[in-house]
Amino acid sequence: MFRLQSSKVLAVDMTGDAVKAKNGSMVAYDGEMAFRKLSGGGEGIRGMVTRRLTGEQMTLMEVKGRGTCWFADRASEINLVSVQGDKLYVESSNLLATDGGLRTGTEFTGLRGASQGNGLFTTTLEGHGQAAIMSDGPAVVLRVSPQYPLTVDPGAYVAHQGNLRQSFQSGVTFRTLLGEGGGEAFQMRFEGDGLVYVQPSERNTIAGDV
Amino acid sequence: MGFREINGKMVEATVAPGQRLFSQRGAMLAYKGEVSFTPNTAGGQGGIMSMIGRRVADEDTPLMTVEGSGTVLFGHGGHHIQVVRLTGDTLYVEADRLLAFEGTLQQGTMFLGSQGGVMGMVRGQVSGQGLFTTTLKGHGAVAVMAHGGVIEIPITPQRPVHVDPQAYVAHHGEVRNKLSTALGWRDMVGRGSGEAFQLELSGSGAVYVQASEEKL
Repeated sequence: MFRLQSSKVLAVDMTGDAVKAKNGSMVAYDGEMAFRKLSGGGEGIRGMVTRRLTGEQMTLMEVKGRGTCWFADRASEINLVSVQGDKLYVESSNLLATDGGLRTGTEFTGLRGASQGNGLFTTTLEGHGQAAIMSDGPAVVLRVSPQYPLTVDPGAYVAHQGNLRQSFQSGVTFRTLLGEGGGEAFQMRFEGDGLVYVQPSERNTIAGDV
Repeated sequence: MGFREINGKMVEATVAPGQRLFSQRGAMLAYKGEVSFTPNTAGGQGGIMSMIGRRVADEDTPLMTVEGSGTVLFGHGGHHIQVVRLTGDTLYVEADRLLAFEGTLQQGTMFLGSQGGVMGMVRGQVSGQGLFTTTLKGHGAVAVMAHGGVIEIPITPQRPVHVDPQAYVAHHGEVRNKLSTALGWRDMVGRGSGEAFQLELSGSGAVYVQASEEKL
């Protein structure tokens, strides 16, 4: 179904089924396609209200039809992720497209979200299917296992999936307070079993400034 | 002769005596050998009349003529470059996306209204192409710029292709294009899917689409 036409263009072959994609991200299609905006990310009235309140707004459209549809967004690199019963956590701004069968939702992330510069909530995907996530530069997938926890710069974090606990770690010392910090004052720590997607670029975060 | 892709954002062209190249002014990055660059006041080929034509059509991107013998590297603004090889058919491309092309190709301007009448003009406005577009015809290679990579989608009579006007780069072959609208009541109340206008390309040929919805 989902395949990469190039590292920046996603091709989706459809036979009458539907996919959800970021609003306006279609670049070309052949065959017959219909585009419909999904308010509140297709989660109904409740989703609409939650997303409004949490600021984790996502404008998705539903694409339905027969043929091939190509998606791209501002020349971002695209990564295919397969979700098999587990939960994928991704920022709504990094989500390009998902299978119609995946359920989307929002989840509270606490302090971590604030450090990432993304707000306090994140988007989750559950079920069985594929998703395409975007990153600034090609993302690397890092495996986390119980023996090997992983620490990530909040600005470079894109998404994660699996059975992971995350905590927030601060490396603030007296040097940071003197303005001599190394620019790595806050980190995200992942423990457990799962995958973390990291991009070779850093968003502007509060942590990056100290 | 022709263009060799050094990487995604740079091409190398070989010039030999008697074989001219045209390129966007200022797009030369480096050269080897004896090569001269002359600004092309006529903005391309075809003498004074086509110069006026291009001025009027606002398709007069400043070009320069590259002559001599040696190799020249071209690149511009960090944009991705796609090399298109023409074998007798016509390439339709916006003048500002044109990085360089071989002198064997014939340059011209086409009035969009001549293909599709009033809707053609509307299409030019919607896709930001304006009322005119540049055509290149003959045998030779063209280097076209785009934001992000470019994918080539074949068009066959049984398989028309719809393209987002902002992501459209160029097309070649015997292709008719028209603007198709999918405007519904949802767009009127500001709840559109962002895909209200599409370019419908039918016939036989190929269309080049960039991985972005940003113009150059």
